[in-house]
Amino acid sequence: MHPPTTFALRDADGRERQFPPDGPVLLALVKEDCDTCNLTLPLLEKVHQATEDGLDVWVAVQKTDDIPVLKERHGLTMPLLDDDALDLSYETDIDTVPTLFLYDEQQNCTLQTFGFDRHEWREIAAESMTLAGRPDGDTQIEWDALPVQRPGCGARNYEPGVYERLQALKSGDLLSRLVDLAASDDIYEFMYEQGYTDGFPVVPPTRERVWKMLQGTQRDPQDEVAVMPPNLAPITVEKIAINAVMAGAKPEYLPSIITLVEIACTETFNIHGVLATTMGATPVGIFNGPIRDRIGMNYLHGALGSGNRANASIGRALRLCARNVGGSLPGGTDRATQGGPHRLTMNFAENEAASPWASLAVERGFEPTDDVATLMAMSGGPATVADERARDGRALAGTLAASMSCMQDPKSPMVDTLVVLSPDHAGIFGRSGWSKDDVRECIIEETSIPLHMRLRSDDAGCGLPPSIVEQFGGEAALDMPIAKFRDKSNIILVVAGSSAAKFSTILGGWAGGAYSMPASSKIGV
Amino acid sequence: MVTQILDPTDERVPIKRSLTPRPEALHGTIALLDISKPRGDKFLDRLEQLLHERAPGVETRRFMKPTVAKPAPEPIKQAILEECDFVIEALAD
Repeated sequence: MHPPTTFALRDADGRERQFPPDGPVLLALVKEDCDTCNLTLPLLEKVHQATEDGLDVWVAVQKTDDIPVLKERHGLTMPLLDDDALDLSYETDIDTVPTLFLYDEQQNCTLQTFGFDRHEWREIAAESMTLAGRPDGDTQIEWDALPVQRPGCGARNYEPGVYERLQALKSGDLLSRLVDLAASDDIYEFMYEQGYTDGFPVVPPTRERVWKMLQGTQRDPQDEVAVMPPNLAPITVEKIAINAVMAGAKPEYLPSIITLVEIACTETFNIHGVLATTMGATPVGIFNGPIRDRIGMNYLHGALGSGNRANASIGRALRLCARNVGGSLPGGTDRATQGGPHRLTMNFAENEAASPWASLAVERGFEPTDDVATLMAMSGGPATVADERARDGRALAGTLAASMSCMQDPKSPMVDTLVVLSPDHAGIFGRSGWSKDDVRECIIEETSIPLHMRLRSDDAGCGLPPSIVEQFGGEAALDMPIAKFRDKSNIILVVAGSSAAKFSTILGGWAGGAYSMPASSKIGV
Repeated sequence: MVTQILDPTDERVPIKRSLTPRPEALHGTIALLDISKPRGDKFLDRLEQLLHERAPGVETRRFMKPTVAKPAPEPIKQAILEECDFVIEALAD
């Protein structure tokens, strides 16, 4: 609560009143539907009558329509000022009505109070009389007939929705351009027409919503988070918040979205290539740590798709940032030949409790208590691996290997495949005492086929060029086993989903190596 | 009713660049840029051969991006700018 120093408000007659007036003044802020305000307004009127020209009593009312109501109800003659826009209430940051400020002739605020405390109000009334030059005058207030204390009411400027609107308009946090709509515009159609959406409707990013979204992070709205490809546009926390609102995210998701943007724009992850490639890749986000529960991410039934706001909107927000700030537009710099539904959003949390192994984040060097996001570039959509018969790790790894052997095509070596094991499948590995590396080694061994079977041929154009045989030592190497996966690190194992059944999922990576590597980061605040 | 929203884009006004006037004849040095896509080199080999046959006065210089997945590194762009009069980029697919 800050006593105001200057302001201008119109009174009930439309006359502008400049504060401070000459001489001492008693300023009150009230609203109509407050019992304590209605208890005290007659007292203020009595002070006004008793101080006559020696002191101004001004009452700021928080709603225009309430001014005539209060005037008539209490027979008020003192100036009632219109603070419907809540400019004064915001500047003084009052949270309770009535609030009183008493100023002396030098415009120093000497006394202030809120609610009704008989002792304090009596003191203010007496001091008002003194400042008015009538220290021995009588305000005609029967103090003993009044309650000792009454709490005030919540000020309108702190009501839900109003507070956010005021902050959005007045805090100076938001610097993005305002886009004006005509009265005849349908906001949803308008946003489609502007090219702001991914094909689904988006939540209109009003100033109030964006300001509220920004409360989800401690970072300054104008912090530059990254330079967003392909247009190499600087992206601020505010721009991420706008796109997060559009994606349907909640403020508590914002730090995760900011972290995904940071990871995506690293040289390691290279979202430029991920989104530009004709292969139709997309960033897939995997979350570990306590944040999964804190923001309500889904790692149980349907973890990989639909039905959970955090999973869906966090991934979608990243994509909208790339579209709207980075300028990645299908047919423009987004050259995906076909794409896939996972390019709208693909984001989930690991079911750490159902895993017999360390989580992905711990495997990548973080603590179990860290909140961590990992991004991987995936060009192949989720493909189901069904095995309801395997009873030990060897049999299940064989099924995974057989399924993974044909990724992209049956001949070409593959890089970076994400294997999302269901809890039931993960449990089989756990009961068999298999480590993650045991699974990987088995997959590499099982997917190894002779070099000649990986070569292009007249009946299948895919695979390695025949000229590559020379690099392996010539014809003698034709029977040399060549694995589908170059290295164990190319097989990423995580656990997600419920213990509903023995189905897992594989997602094919993009290109790996110099193109795009999985990247992880702690989620900030 | 929503009457104002915040702009979700980067708000930058693109710089307008006009095309360089089309020269009447080939001259000087032509950069042939391979973006590291499969068979880009074959395409440029053939193009280089044709250029030497049909425009005997011109020289060609070959450049190659280290990876198809990222924009050309600045040194390559600078070298093309400083050493060549034309550039032909072999986009694959």
